[in-house]
Amino acid sequence: MRPIRALIALLSAALAGAPALAQPVTSPGPDSVSVAIYADPDRWVDTPINPAWLRGYALISEKRTITIPKGRAVIRFEGVAGGILPESAIVTGLPDGVREKNLDADLLSARSLYARSLGRPVTIRRTRGGRTVEERAIIRSGPDGAAVLETREGIVAVDCRGSEALIYDAVPAGLSAKPTLSVETEAAEARQVTVTLSYLAWGFDWQANYVATMRDGGRSADLFAWVTLANGDVTSFADAATMVVGGRVNREGGGAPVSGLDDGEPFEFQCLSHVEAREEQYAPMPEPAPMADSGERDAIAVTGMRMSLSASTPITVVREALGDLQLYRVPHRTTVAAQSQKQVALLNREAVPVDVIYRSYVSGNYVSPPELLLRAQNREARGLGLPLPRGKVAVFEPRGDTSLLIGEGSIGDKAVGEEVEVRVAQATQVHASKRLAVIGGRTDQALTVTNANPFPVRFEAGIVVNDGIKIGGASARLGRKDGRPLWAVQVPANGSVTLTYRTDPVRRR
Amino acid sequence: MRWLALTLVAIPCAAEAQTAVPAPDQTAQGEVAVTIYNNNLALVQDRRTLSLAIGRTRQEFADVSASIRPETVTLNGAGLTVVEQNFDYDLLTPEKLMEKAIGRTITLVRTDPGTKAETREEARVLANNNGTVVQIGNRIEVLDASRVRVIFPSLPPNLRARPTLSVTLEAESGGARPVTLNYLSTGLGWKADYVTLFDEAAGKIDVQGWVTLTNNSGTTFNNAQTLLVAGAVGDANSQRGYRPRPIPGNSPGTETVNREQLGDFYVYPIAARTTIANAQQKQVSFLDVSGAPAAKAYFYRNNWLGASAQALSADTVLRFSTSRDGGLGDALPAGTVRVYMRDARGAPQFIGENNIGHTPMGSRLALKTGEAFDVKVQPTVEKREALGKDKWRTTMTYRFTNARPNPVVVELAQSGLDNWWHDTRIESESLPSERTSADEALWKVTVPANGEVTLTVAFLTRY
Repeated sequence: MRPIRALIALLSAALAGAPALAQPVTSPGPDSVSVAIYADPDRWVDTPINPAWLRGYALISEKRTITIPKGRAVIRFEGVAGGILPESAIVTGLPDGVREKNLDADLLSARSLYARSLGRPVTIRRTRGGRTVEERAIIRSGPDGAAVLETREGIVAVDCRGSEALIYDAVPAGLSAKPTLSVETEAAEARQVTVTLSYLAWGFDWQANYVATMRDGGRSADLFAWVTLANGDVTSFADAATMVVGGRVNREGGGAPVSGLDDGEPFEFQCLSHVEAREEQYAPMPEPAPMADSGERDAIAVTGMRMSLSASTPITVVREALGDLQLYRVPHRTTVAAQSQKQVALLNREAVPVDVIYRSYVSGNYVSPPELLLRAQNREARGLGLPLPRGKVAVFEPRGDTSLLIGEGSIGDKAVGEEVEVRVAQATQVHASKRLAVIGGRTDQALTVTNANPFPVRFEAGIVVNDGIKIGGASARLGRKDGRPLWAVQVPANGSVTLTYRTDPVRRR
Repeated sequence: MRWLALTLVAIPCAAEAQTAVPAPDQTAQGEVAVTIYNNNLALVQDRRTLSLAIGRTRQEFADVSASIRPETVTLNGAGLTVVEQNFDYDLLTPEKLMEKAIGRTITLVRTDPGTKAETREEARVLANNNGTVVQIGNRIEVLDASRVRVIFPSLPPNLRARPTLSVTLEAESGGARPVTLNYLSTGLGWKADYVTLFDEAAGKIDVQGWVTLTNNSGTTFNNAQTLLVAGAVGDANSQRGYRPRPIPGNSPGTETVNREQLGDFYVYPIAARTTIANAQQKQVSFLDVSGAPAAKAYFYRNNWLGASAQALSADTVLRFSTSRDGGLGDALPAGTVRVYMRDARGAPQFIGENNIGHTPMGSRLALKTGEAFDVKVQPTVEKREALGKDKWRTTMTYRFTNARPNPVVVELAQSGLDNWWHDTRIESESLPSERTSADEALWKVTVPANGEVTLTVAFLTRY
C-alpha cells in the first residue's frame, strides 16, 4: 500500500508543478539553552505570582547542532517552548540563510482527526451486549455534524452514548502533536552546523521578594531578597543559563499566542433522536486529576529565608545593566523545569540603616490614620546602593530566638540614590486627630498625635494645601516634601504632641 | 489517478459511494494565487480545469476557503454563462438525517440481549418533533435509538459535510476548459515583524524585516502564488479611534521605494510558490539592513498638574530613520519592531517592542521600548497662587535623577497647556523650553552622570 501512496504523492506533486521536495531534518532538542525571564507587565507588585496563570514571558536562546543536506531542506525544531511566539523567532548560523519560517499549529485532536477523515474509510467498533463487532464505513458528515457514516447496509449515525467508537487507519498528513517551528534553508553542500534559535515565549514570570529583619532596636535591618521565577510551560530547560530582567519593557498586544486554535474546540458525537438524548446515561465523569498545586512545586516559602541568617549564605545572582534595564544572572547553570518555581538569592545585606516612621496626611479637616513606614536610602554609604527591582517586602521583628512578621508592603523599581519607602502596617498605638476653629476670617487648626508606646516614635504629617490657601502661624517649623508642608516630630513615649497653624486665603493683589 | 485512489481504499463498502474517495492530501484546488491584505482579508484566484457537457450543468467547487465570503464569488471561463451561484451551508448532522427521513422507510436493528441475535424490521418515520414517531407494520412506536440501531437507505440531498459553493453553468460547447474562480476570504492576514539589534555604543542598528502571514481560514492553499499588499483595504472608517499622543521625533517621509506599487499600496510578492497551510504562521524575509544610525533618548510627558510622591521612570525611546540616506532605506509595512541589545557576554537580549503603522521611506521614527530603571522624573506642584480674577500662577518643579554612569538628556513635555483656556504663558523657567504646540512645552534637560537636576517653571493660567 505504501508504494502506491508514495506514487500518488509524487504524481500529485508533479501535476501541481511543485519544485523538488525539501528534505526534512529534525532537531530533537538543544545542546545548550539560556532563558531570560521577564515579569508580567500587567501584574501589580502586590499580586503574588499565580503559578497557574503566568502572563510574563521569556527570551529563550538555544544552540543546536544540525546536519543539513545538500539542496533544499526543512529543519524542524522540536522541544521548543509551547508558548512560543513564532513571529519572534530568530535563527542564525545557517550558511545560506533562511528561506522561510513556519509554525504549524494544525494539531492532532479528536476533531481534526474526524474532519480530515471526511470521505475516507474508517472502522466502527460496536459493543452490544458484551459482544464487539467491527464494520467498515466512510465518514460523510463534517465535525459539526458528527458522526454520519455510510456502511455497506446504508447510512448510520454513530451512537452518541459511547457504545460505538471510530477507528482510523492512519493520522492524516500535516497534523502534529504540538505546534512545531520549522525553517526552510538551501545549502550548497551537506555539512554540520551549529545554529542559534531564539524566541519569545509566554507562560513565565518572576518577582523579587524582600525580607527585612529588624535589629538594633529598630535602627537597622538585615535585608535579604529572593528572586522567585516560574516556568508554566510544558517544556523544561535543562542546565540553562538563567537570567531575569528587571525594569519595564514595552510589549504590544499582550495576548497569549494565537496558534493552536483547533485543540480547544469541543468535539462529540451528536445524537440521532431526542428520546435517545433524554435517556442517555453517561458514565460518571472521572474525578478531575488533582491540579499540580504548590505543594508539588519546589517552592520555598518566603518565611524560610531565615536559614540564610544562620548557616551558609546562599549564592546570589549577578547583576549587569542591559540598556536601561537590569539583568540578573544566576551564576551557575540550572534547570528551569516545566511547571515549576525556583528561588535564587538576590541580595543579602546586614545592618542596613532604616528609619521607622509613622505617617499621616492632613487634608482639610481630615487626618488619615497613621501608617507604619520603613524608610531607607539606596546608597552605598547607607548599606545599600544597588538597583532594587520591584517586589514585596516582609518585615520581621526578632522575638527571643525566633522572628515574627510585623508588616508587609512592596516597593517599585528603585534606582541607586533613591529613597526607599515601604508602608508595612496600620499603626495601632499611634493616633492623630484634628480640631478646627473658625474665628473671624481665619481658621485655626490643631493637629495632635498621641503615642501609647513605651518608647518615642517619629511622626510625619504631609499637609495638603488647597489652591489659593496659605499656611501661617505654625507652632513648629514646617519642612517641605513633594510640594507640601511637612511636619516631622518626635512623639515621646506615652505622650502627645500638638501642632497649631492657621490657614488663610491668599489675598488677591 | 482515480482508479489508483479507488484501489487504495478497496474496502468492503457499498458500490453506491457517490464520489470516489479522494487520495490523502489531494486537493480540488487548481492553480491558486492568493493576495493577502493587512486586515484579515485575502483575494483568492483559483484556476481549475472543468470538464463540461454542453448545456446546463451544476458544478460543486470543493476546497475553496472555509472562510469564503460567498457574495464575492465570480467565475469566468470561455463560452460559459453563469446561471446561478449557490452557497449551501445546511450541514449534515445525525439530527437532520432523521428529520429528512420523515415519510421514508428506515431499517431498525434490534439485538436480543440473551441470544445476541439481530432482528431487522422496516419502519416508516412519521414525525420527528422532540422524539421520533415510527410506524412498524400496524404499530406506532416512539423510537428509542438507544436500544435499536437505525439504518437509513441513503443520504438526503442538499445536506453537506461542510459549506459548499456550487455554480450552475450554461456551456456553449462540451469539453475541458480552464475556468477562473475569484473570491474574497477572511481568516488570512499578514503583518511585518522587525528584529532590531541595537548597538548603543556605536549608535547603530541592524534590522531584519520579516513578513508574517497567518492562515486561520480553515483551508490549506497548495503551491500558491502569494502577493502581500501593505494596506488594509475597505476599512477607511476604522482608523478614527483613539490614538495615544506620539512621542516627539516621529514624522512621515516623502521618499518612494523601488518596489512594486498597486495604487497607494506597496506590494510584496513572495518569490517562489508556497503552500500556506491551515493554522500556519509563515515568515519570509524582506528586509536586511545593517549599520543604520540610531540613537537612544529619554522622554517623559507630564499631564497638567501631574504630581507624584515618587520618582517615575522616563520612557526609553529608540530613534532612527527610514530614509535612503542615513536610514533603513525602505518603506516599512505595519508591524511590530522588537529591539534587542547584547548583554555583557555578547548574547542578544530582548529590551522591548513597539508597533509601527505603514511607514513611508524617509520617515523618522521614535519608538518607546520600555521605561528606564535608572533615569527618573519626579514632577511636583509647588504652589498654586491666585493673582486676581481668572489669573493664577502655578509653580511646578521637575526633579530629574540619573543613576547611570554617563550623562543623559531627558526630554520633558508638559501637556495640558491648552485644555480649556487659551492664553497659558510660561512666566519663568530655570531652563529654556520650546513650545512644540499650543498644548505642550518641551524641555531638553541634561542630567549629569549619577546626578540630579531640578527644573522650576511658573505657568500663568486663567485657572
